[in-house]
Amino acid sequence: MSILGGGIFKGMAVTLRNFVSSYFSKERLTTNDYSWRPDGALPQSIADYPKEEGEQLRDTTTVTNYSRNFPMLLHDGGEPMDTVRCVACQICERECPPQCIYIEKDYDENGKYIKRPAIFDIDVSVCMSCQICVEVCPFDAIVMNSQFELSTPNRFGGLLVRRDDLLKSNDYYHQIHPEEAAARDQKMAAEKAAKAAKKKAAGEKAKAAAEKKAAEAAKAETKEGAE
Amino acid sequence: MNFELLIDILIATVPLMLIFATLFAFTTWLERKALARIQNRIGPNKVGIPCTRISLFGLGQPAADGIKMLFKEDIVPRGADRLFHLLAPILALIPAMLVLCFLPLDFPWVNEDSVKAYLLDGAVIFFFAITGLNTLAVFMAGWASRNKYSLLGGMRAVAQMVSYEIPLVLSAVIVVMMVGSLNAAVIADAQTGFNWFVFSPWGFAAFIIFFIAALAETNRSPFDLPEAESEIIAGYFTEYSGFKFALFFLGEYIAMFAISGLAVTLFLGGGDGPGVTLDQGLPTEAFPGLAVIWFLMKIFALIAMMIWLRGTLPRLRVDQLMGFAWKFMLPLSILNILVAGFAWHAQQQDSKTITVITWVISLAILYGTASGLNQLNRASARPRKYKYAE
Repeated sequence: MSILGGGIFKGMAVTLRNFVSSYFSKERLTTNDYSWRPDGALPQSIADYPKEEGEQLRDTTTVTNYSRNFPMLLHDGGEPMDTVRCVACQICERECPPQCIYIEKDYDENGKYIKRPAIFDIDVSVCMSCQICVEVCPFDAIVMNSQFELSTPNRFGGLLVRRDDLLKSNDYYHQIHPEEAAARDQKMAAEKAAKAAKKKAAGEKAKAAAEKKAAEAAKAETKEGAE
Repeated sequence: MNFELLIDILIATVPLMLIFATLFAFTTWLERKALARIQNRIGPNKVGIPCTRISLFGLGQPAADGIKMLFKEDIVPRGADRLFHLLAPILALIPAMLVLCFLPLDFPWVNEDSVKAYLLDGAVIFFFAITGLNTLAVFMAGWASRNKYSLLGGMRAVAQMVSYEIPLVLSAVIVVMMVGSLNAAVIADAQTGFNWFVFSPWGFAAFIIFFIAALAETNRSPFDLPEAESEIIAGYFTEYSGFKFALFFLGEYIAMFAISGLAVTLFLGGGDGPGVTLDQGLPTEAFPGLAVIWFLMKIFALIAMMIWLRGTLPRLRVDQLMGFAWKFMLPLSILNILVAGFAWHAQQQDSKTITVITWVISLAILYGTASGLNQLNRASARPRKYKYAE
């Protein structure tokens, strides 16, 4: 028979062990996990975040590789709106559980739809960082950012992030989430190659069909001529 | 108006309030730090002296919290009863502050012949009577907020506090029986020379029951059902913000100190400790104020225990909570009174053999009853049969 209340003492021993050894082993501290860094060095800027001010904090590479907070829009370099991947298909707007995304399509002066967003707003005070928009995007246009300094003096307008502030280059994406970005690039390249191959195959097929048709037509002509 | 009496009263009471308010601030910091370490976090470590980079392990955090609370907007819900909404936090704080004066804290700066509340015959009764008011404040807050979560929290609090008040008082009865007095100072003095009640089987059982009931009375984890965050938002103070919330918070912690102080008085020898000796039947300190230091240190040990338990145990279910009070603590404390009664008669014989036999028998009875009750209350362990699943 076990001692009455023995389970409580067992649990208290566990918490005591955690309490004491958190003072001695740095690895235990959940907030200090920098094991992903190649050199294993602790960046002091995050450990002492509000005390250490200056440029190095803006450098998002000091955040861990696994940090995800709010979405951003990707472009492939150069003038952002020329190479933006988003085509304003509004899938993310519809899928967003707290409905924090607002998109309007862009039209040229003739009223023709050009494949890019005229307005793309994300209300980060509503966003719950669920990443569903990232999952559903068929164009790999929206991914998660890891920028954390978002405090603003303005409660409503300040937390509504506009299109131009959401646009970030693919290079920046490679900088903050190198593995994920590389994997995504690879996937996109593979998709593109598959598409090209399919297109080529379809083109060849069409060509073959056309040739066949032409041959048939020629045959028919000769037949007609013979008659 | 007797002016000197007024001065005496102020000298006796104002430092008491200041000391415990300071201890409250320190305890909030300590609790956050200890819980953080238990969960392998660092805890508050940034706030220190303003305008400098000295952080002092985050000891400035309570002050920063206090300033924040003062400047926050005071929101009263539209349907709320404004008067009672205002009255509830005040009523939660006042009884908690009031019972502090029944703790036998003999401050060296208080006049020997001035009024001392803890010398009141019946201080223990008074203590329980006044702490009982806390229930009313909690339910008043829950009712006046006009919010279903607040009301649920208030009702849970009433059910819990009324249930646990009984074992709390019944376990204190043992000490009163043994000493033969309700006077807090007499009870504390009777234990001088490490003659503490916790060092006897019945006293130890009573102390454990008292401590568990005290946890429930002050709504501490694992009995924090009235303010269960994951179930009913914040319970009875869901609709409180700013300074009213701070008053609730303060009241809760002061109540913790007060009930720990009573536990120290009843079971842990009051101001007794190394350096306090018995001289002609009266406790004498090595230097003035030593007894107060021992008393406060014992209170802190109990508070640390409460924090440790909070970091360890998950919250009970409502039926488990009620079952524990009525099916385990109540029978055990009633039996404990019987045991203590026999033990008192055995002590009158003044014989070593009889004392030893009493100890062994009462230990066996108490432990046997406790495990028996535990077995009886255990949920039936039959393997569950599923009709449609499988």
